[in-house]
Amino acid sequence: MERINNPYRPIEAEVLKVITETPTIKTIHFKPKEPIRFATGQFVEITIPGVGEAPFTPSSPPSEKETMQVSVMKVGKVTDKIHELKKGDAIGVRGPFGNGYPVDEFKGKEILVVGGGCGFAPLRSLMYEFFDRSGQLKKLFFRGGCKTPKELVYHDETKEWAKRKDLNLKLTVDAADSSWKGNVGVVTTILDDVKMDYKKGIGVVCGPPIMMKFATKKLLHMGFKEDNIYLSMEKNMSCGIGKCGHCRLGTYYACKDGPVFKYSEIKKLPEIWD
Amino acid sequence: MKYITFHNLAKLLDALKEDYRVFVPVKKSESGDYPIKKGAQRFYKEYDKFSDDIIIGEVRPFEPLKAFFVSAREKVADNFSPEVPHTKDKPFALVGVKNCDLKQGFKVQDHVFNNHDFQDPFYIKNREENLIIAADCTCAIDTCFCLATGNQPYPEENFDINLSSVGDGFIVEAAPTRRAQKFMDKYHSLFDIAKDYQLNERKEQRQKVIKKVEENIKENNIPSYDTLKEDIIKKNWDSDVWLDESKTCVECAACTIICPTCHCFLLYDQKDKEKMERLRIWDSCMIKDYARVAGGANPRPKLWMRLRNRFEKKFDFFPKVGGFYACTGCGRCISACPAMIDIREVLVRLVKGNGKNK
Repeated sequence: MERINNPYRPIEAEVLKVITETPTIKTIHFKPKEPIRFATGQFVEITIPGVGEAPFTPSSPPSEKETMQVSVMKVGKVTDKIHELKKGDAIGVRGPFGNGYPVDEFKGKEILVVGGGCGFAPLRSLMYEFFDRSGQLKKLFFRGGCKTPKELVYHDETKEWAKRKDLNLKLTVDAADSSWKGNVGVVTTILDDVKMDYKKGIGVVCGPPIMMKFATKKLLHMGFKEDNIYLSMEKNMSCGIGKCGHCRLGTYYACKDGPVFKYSEIKKLPEIWD
Repeated sequence: MKYITFHNLAKLLDALKEDYRVFVPVKKSESGDYPIKKGAQRFYKEYDKFSDDIIIGEVRPFEPLKAFFVSAREKVADNFSPEVPHTKDKPFALVGVKNCDLKQGFKVQDHVFNNHDFQDPFYIKNREENLIIAADCTCAIDTCFCLATGNQPYPEENFDINLSSVGDGFIVEAAPTRRAQKFMDKYHSLFDIAKDYQLNERKEQRQKVIKKVEENIKENNIPSYDTLKEDIIKKNWDSDVWLDESKTCVECAACTIICPTCHCFLLYDQKDKEKMERLRIWDSCMIKDYARVAGGANPRPKLWMRLRNRFEKKFDFFPKVGGFYACTGCGRCISACPAMIDIREVLVRLVKGNGKNK
């Protein structure tokens, strides 16, 4: 028999560092024993040996070649264990899978990136990819929202981003505390001051389903074309190679045909926001 | 075409044991009388020596053939090792396999596990190494409706050797492959030349079974292959047929487990001392948490949505991505369902459906 790689085998990786971002989100830095090259927006399956696997889009940029990062919200069996990881622990990585953002096609364009909650993770990778390609974009806007200031990920990094000349950044929280000086309200309330040619602009949206639904509606209302809105779909991706069936979305599998889709590709499919 | 006697077939199966784990269909009934007593089913049994309960003809065993190609539970990764586990296992020789499993069944399984993007090493090993000794159906049971989904009740493709029951033996048809020719050469002393009257008998026998399946289709008003092609899922998306048909469903997943086309699986990790192993286990889209994500979102929280999804996958997804239905007309799901949900009745309602809102 011709030798075929085992697509279910995880590559061993060593945990280098664990950063606590918020009470429920941690960023894990790790080094795979065999290098894994990925495009921003693609995802990997992280294995906790003996516990299971879960899909994450790396939050680090592809230009970081030896190591990778994932930012993980504690919501279930695998993510609970990921939150217990320490430096030196062994984990497994499988991937990358699916299609990422077509960053080359964004050259010379005006881009609006809208993120919500844990959806900041894939967008962080994308933002660093943009920073690596500084000067290639005409304009770059980032609008992010989360529930409370405590739940804002990449707190120090976004402060640095705010100083960049090639980026217009604004953040909002649903409910403020005494530390918060910025906007209060959902993310769709901070989009009106984005000055660009909406009809030619690119919109990138990532966040919880309800936020993606309303942000997409808002972008369409502003004049963005359905072909120019990119969504990263969260489905139950398991095998990563379009075989196990779980992440089917109409005639697509989110793992193999996504997770990044143009809104025009999926708008007619049922169950996309559920 | 060749001919083999019952006696020589037993010899052949004995000889095959050297290179293969041989599985034959058996039927457990008190008398083995015909027609089949209601509820008597055929199952695959590992062949040891020839016995009276072995049924080469009749209809498909209750177990789907897919079980020998994607096991219900198998190890797919051993710790971080790049080795592909258990691909050195002795292959299977599968005897008495019927066309519903061979044609439409393999069409779907091949599409999933042997597509060009990602090949599944376990499936491909089995597909390359397992030997298939198929057989004509010699009868049809009430739940058979293969003609309605585009299949004949005799093997058309995907077999090495086919047996058609004639008199006290079988007509032996070898597939036009090198492997089948090698097989025929190796065991040539067990075969005779098939006579014209035997070939005629095969023809008549096939017509008889086709007629019985046609009667089944007529009796149950099963829509023809062509009417299924109309957008039956889309036009019934909001119909009350889903809620109505799912009322008795107990979410046992038997319909999908027993289905020769259903292919969904879950990956399950466990720790054996300090080593991790990853298992692949059949899964079912009828189970509530099937598509749920850890964050809590579930695209199909209601049972009727999952029933609709099962039909969408079979009669909308596969026609669109592969150009074929993922239903073989084998009727297994009808027999397996404890709630008497009948795929034939659902199809009738979908074709007639007026898209009535819930």
